[in-house]
Amino acid sequence: MVEHGDIRVVHRGGSKINFREPVITNDSSFLLCASGECVKVFSTSTEECIHDLRGHTDLVTGVLLKPSNHLQVYSCSADGTVRLWDFTDGILIKTYVIGYPIYSIYASPDHEGIIFIVTPMLSDKRSELFQLVAVHLPQSGDQLVEARELSAVLSDVSSNPAAITIGRGGEYFASAKGLQLEVYFFRKQKSYRFSLKEGNKKGGRNTFTCVACHPKDDCIATGHEDGKIRLWRNFNHKKEYTYTTLHWHHSAVSSLRFTPEGTNLLSGGVESVLVQWRYNQESQRDFLPRLGAAITHITISPDGALFCTSHSDNKITIIQSCVKVSAVIQGLVKGESVRTDLMVDPRSKAMVLNGKPGHLQFYSLQRDKLLYNLDIVQQEYIHESGLQQFEVVKAAFDASGNWLATVEERKQKAAELELNLKLWEFDEQTQSFVLNTTISAPHEAQITAMCFCHAADSQTTMLVSTSKDGHFKAWQLATPARTEDEGPSWSCDFVGAYHGLVPKCCCFSADGSLLAVSFQEVVTVWSPSSWELLTTLSQPPGAIRDLCFGRLSCSKYLLGTTASNLLCCWNLLTCSLEWSTSMDTSLLLADPFSENMAAFCCQAGCTDLFVFKPSEPRPLFSHKAVCSGKVTRAVFAPREDMLESCEESSQWLNCSQLYFLTQYMDLMTFITKAEEDRLMASSKQLVIDDSVAMTPFYLLLGKHRQQQQENQDTLSTLSAERTPLPQGSVAIKELLQTPAHVLPSTSFLCSMFVQSLLISVTDSREESKHAEEEMESEKEEEDSEGEMESSTSRPREASLAGHATETAALALTKAQARELRRVKKLDHSWLSGLLDS
Amino acid sequence: MAADAGSSPLQLPCVFSPKSRQYLALCAQDGRLRIWNTDSKTLHQEYVPSAHLSATCTCIAWGPCRTVKEGPQRKKRKSEAVQVEEKPDLLAMGTAAGTVLIYSTAKGALHCTLDGGHSGGVNCVQWHPEDSLLYSGSDDTNIIEWDLQTGKMRSKWKADRAAVTSLCVSHDGKLLLSAGQVIKMWDLDTKEVYRKFTGHSTAVTTLRFATTRPPDSNGLYFLSGAAHDRLLSVWQVRQDGKDKNSVVSFTLTDEPRHIDLVTSNSKEEAVRLSVVCKDGQLHLFEHFLNGPCKKPLSPLCSVQMSDTKDSPVPIPLLAAALGADTRNVLLAYGNHLQPVMERVEINTAERHVCLTRDVQTNLSISMETAVSKVKTPIVSTKSRVLVPGLPGHQAPVKGMSQGSEKRKKDTDTKEVRILLMKGAPKGTATLQTDNFAVLLVQGLESNDANILNKVFQTRKEVVIKKTVARLPLPAVLPLVEEVTHTFVPSYRAVLMVRWLKAVLMHHTSYLASLPDLVTQLGVLYHMIESRVKMFHKLTKLHGKLYLLMTQVGIIVYRKYLQYFFLSVFFNRPDSAVLEV
Repeated sequence: MVEHGDIRVVHRGGSKINFREPVITNDSSFLLCASGECVKVFSTSTEECIHDLRGHTDLVTGVLLKPSNHLQVYSCSADGTVRLWDFTDGILIKTYVIGYPIYSIYASPDHEGIIFIVTPMLSDKRSELFQLVAVHLPQSGDQLVEARELSAVLSDVSSNPAAITIGRGGEYFASAKGLQLEVYFFRKQKSYRFSLKEGNKKGGRNTFTCVACHPKDDCIATGHEDGKIRLWRNFNHKKEYTYTTLHWHHSAVSSLRFTPEGTNLLSGGVESVLVQWRYNQESQRDFLPRLGAAITHITISPDGALFCTSHSDNKITIIQSCVKVSAVIQGLVKGESVRTDLMVDPRSKAMVLNGKPGHLQFYSLQRDKLLYNLDIVQQEYIHESGLQQFEVVKAAFDASGNWLATVEERKQKAAELELNLKLWEFDEQTQSFVLNTTISAPHEAQITAMCFCHAADSQTTMLVSTSKDGHFKAWQLATPARTEDEGPSWSCDFVGAYHGLVPKCCCFSADGSLLAVSFQEVVTVWSPSSWELLTTLSQPPGAIRDLCFGRLSCSKYLLGTTASNLLCCWNLLTCSLEWSTSMDTSLLLADPFSENMAAFCCQAGCTDLFVFKPSEPRPLFSHKAVCSGKVTRAVFAPREDMLESCEESSQWLNCSQLYFLTQYMDLMTFITKAEEDRLMASSKQLVIDDSVAMTPFYLLLGKHRQQQQENQDTLSTLSAERTPLPQGSVAIKELLQTPAHVLPSTSFLCSMFVQSLLISVTDSREESKHAEEEMESEKEEEDSEGEMESSTSRPREASLAGHATETAALALTKAQARELRRVKKLDHSWLSGLLDS
Repeated sequence: MAADAGSSPLQLPCVFSPKSRQYLALCAQDGRLRIWNTDSKTLHQEYVPSAHLSATCTCIAWGPCRTVKEGPQRKKRKSEAVQVEEKPDLLAMGTAAGTVLIYSTAKGALHCTLDGGHSGGVNCVQWHPEDSLLYSGSDDTNIIEWDLQTGKMRSKWKADRAAVTSLCVSHDGKLLLSAGQVIKMWDLDTKEVYRKFTGHSTAVTTLRFATTRPPDSNGLYFLSGAAHDRLLSVWQVRQDGKDKNSVVSFTLTDEPRHIDLVTSNSKEEAVRLSVVCKDGQLHLFEHFLNGPCKKPLSPLCSVQMSDTKDSPVPIPLLAAALGADTRNVLLAYGNHLQPVMERVEINTAERHVCLTRDVQTNLSISMETAVSKVKTPIVSTKSRVLVPGLPGHQAPVKGMSQGSEKRKKDTDTKEVRILLMKGAPKGTATLQTDNFAVLLVQGLESNDANILNKVFQTRKEVVIKKTVARLPLPAVLPLVEEVTHTFVPSYRAVLMVRWLKAVLMHHTSYLASLPDLVTQLGVLYHMIESRVKMFHKLTKLHGKLYLLMTQVGIIVYRKYLQYFFLSVFFNRPDSAVLEV
């Protein structure tokens, strides 16, 4: 078998975005989060992924803004490197090689050039013990820098990044592990340890889960497994420390954060409620409930305006000032496992699988974006760990997308299994699925497989479900005999069984004339029209795992895989085994758009892929080691535009594309060289200068300035240069960019402003410089001297202001200009007087 | 509101994003720019230009797709991601004040403004397909070429004596069409007129290149549509320069509002065209452009949309985009403030297609999804619920052999039965309403729910027995059927069990003589079986409860206990089964 070099396995998305705490940039416009082997930059306003920062070769385990430069970001990874990025342009600036896998990263503005990382104990890399290490980042111009200056700070820390935090002013580190809180003071080079008891008599579990330090005060907040929050104070003494306990959460607190000003403390957990505690008035709480899923991380933007919470369903919610959810960045939802098969909705061409508990998710493969979750169960989900609630376990679409069948299941420990089979019809008028029939307890035991009859031209729609109770049932859409008012609904047409064996899988042939149901090691072939058992096929030993009918030219073949590592192909015309081969097939899949089949085989911890035609002995394509681990879910998705590849090995990708989910739930696909080249060729960056954020102020100034410009130079060439913006002037820049609350009073600014609008006669540069100095000195004055001086000067200033605004609007006459300049000179002397005093 | 959107005097810009049609950009009456996601059918972004009321947006054009930038030192690792599908990003908006705004959908913010060029309102903006250039045509009769890398005007020229109403850049980026009084074709390298065409008598609103062939091959065609004109004209750029008049025209029902077309690359390929008219209709055309054609071409298929009310009101279509497949069309309809998007497969074999859509529910569903990303499918009371025991939950029981023949026989016997029934009451013909048997027969015959209800209400065992005994034989089976159907709601089961019991006691011999006994009583059998299935567990529960109650009884007052016990016992829905 030949490896085909021109088809590559590529990552198509679906990676976790809730793995580590995201970071919001200083201007609150971007959100950076670790996602698989890259860092994704999202826009906080549009939820769009702006770009990926790629370069790491293993899982990214932490993202951190560089404290000394807010436009750069560090990322650390299990590949043993820390990388520095410019996230606005997506450029890798530097790579620091540490050499040990890194699990989290911390830094403080008070420790210049030092980052703190958590690595496994240096002695052996595989150990479960972790330590906090300070790394001195060498100053070097190279791209690739070795950072070998490591010094251990704390040993035996938790690998959970939430359990370590850096304290006020970078003075100390707080680290929690198990039942112990350790505080290490840099200045004293000394650490204090505080332990809690295993659990008090009420059954509380005191294990620490997360730690946060107050930014202004000496206070450490810790979250615990039983939902308590403790605020530790006075911890620079071994004995006299105190703590207060806050209790609202009923299960473990997973994240704690103080707001940048330290006025509030945010906490979250399984309840999926964001709780905001007032610092020092802890009885006052604000809640933001119904966030959808358990909170795993909380992040607060540096200005405190935006909160963002990561959730266990692979979602990041952006919250504006603890009141309003402004954006939701949702990745592929991952519960504990994918229960349903991967499907492609024939209507929207979206991939469908179970999503949030009780929902089916529709995921756009082309855009790596969740479209929506379809609420199947329609019951309130209770956010509490350990509760058994309804989950969607099976789903199937019919060929045209008109019918959707879902199975929901609730399995409680002792009680009966609860099963519901729901049949949804797509209603064209309302463009939504409408519930047609609910069948409660369709079977007495779990449903193992379900499939629609895919015949395009058949009059009746049929669904077959197989169950562990030893039966398979065929459901048919029929008009009820007696009830006149209702439309057609589903009812059972046939119940089949075979020697009391448990059916495992079922499959309809492409034309719908045959149904194959596997009962352990026996495959039974039925005729759906008369429900006659036509034939049985078997290849013992080993139960059948997967069944597939061939399509198009290979429709006479039935393929099955057995638990005894056999892939069998039966010829249905002769009812005999055509061929069989020994391979441990974990998944067999038929391409619905061609006669090809794909078999994923598990071999030595890796999965190989074979694509073949049932009629041909040689595989069309084989790929060794597609990924590590078993592949159990895959789907063929139709292409929007067909490829026209003539090469035999890549022809199978012409009209459909194979996607599969790895063990770690990454969505992968195959891409041909030609397709990649085509994409490359069309990828041209459109470079466009983004000049202004237009404000009303700009409109006002801009217009004025333009008119001025036109008055000044009458030359109007066609290729006119862009008028220099008023922002160019230093004074205006100062005026517009200084925050309003630190600006001096308007009367002060007025003269400066007017001046900037004056027609420069000779040395406008110098003047503006003057103005700048002047303003700065003025500001200093304001700050230090206070009200007194300014009150005396105000009347004069005010009159000046009135005068100036009048004149500014008109075209200035020479005399007026002179007058103004004179006034300004007066001003100077007054200021210098002030300065002297 | 929906109606006025279709007939509004000014044309509201409404454009799908290129390539995959992920977004629909729409500038509504309120001057806001809204971008809708066509996949999830939700509002993606809303942008309010700072001067949206004074300088309304007059035209929109999506820029070429943004792609993820490639780093210079790119190693191909095994599972490295391909750059994801090109995303549409930039959007150019021309305003009535003469400025051009460039908006970034990725950032959700204004990217830059291009101003100081036009003195009149901008009528049309067009992106250069390759370079970062933008062309704008304005009321001031000028065309400006903007260099977007610097944000400056690169060149400006007077294009016509009248306002420039429409522009179009060719696919290779070498030619530019402009429409004023006449249609002119410009060579973009020299900015000189390459060809002139007569154009329309009214303002040209749309210009599109229909083929991608070079201009000197006699194969370059473009089409134009004008205000108040119910024709789309196709012009050929001919080698000899004798190309004053249009070669082909497409007939429409109203002036064209939104045009999408799939260009043809060779003579063998047809041009596919979708035109949404002012009256809200969509027309689909397919034509091989090959020289002049005298007759105006009529559409291959016209699509209209109406709502679901009793007196259907048309829903105006706003825009339509053609998919890769001939029959797939992406539609936007409804009003401009809240359009509904849908991918439809249109059966082009029919000349006229009318789609009915419920816009109200469509909207409410999409608005919900926008925030929560959760769609709730409709669950109406109409949906059927099958619980174990109801007919249809288990397969219908058929005779042991020759199922299909059995069914035929079954219908025969029914007919015979009806005949019998028709015969029997006529013979007696005494209307004794006090006699329950007669009443029952009448009820069964006429299927009168009132009579049957009255009869079945009887609780006296003796009366039931007598009635059943007196029942004529042909009425027995209808009675059994009736009993089966009234059995379904569990509250009546208690009453029906007595009837069933009596029937079985008196008419077993008759029932046994029936050839299709299994089919007749199958449903009843399933029902009873599924109800009895729980009997074992219920008795267990009963026993446990009884024990519990007696224990409780020691502590609690006896009276209270009795009341409670009784209520528990009698409220159980399956008490009927216990009695069976």
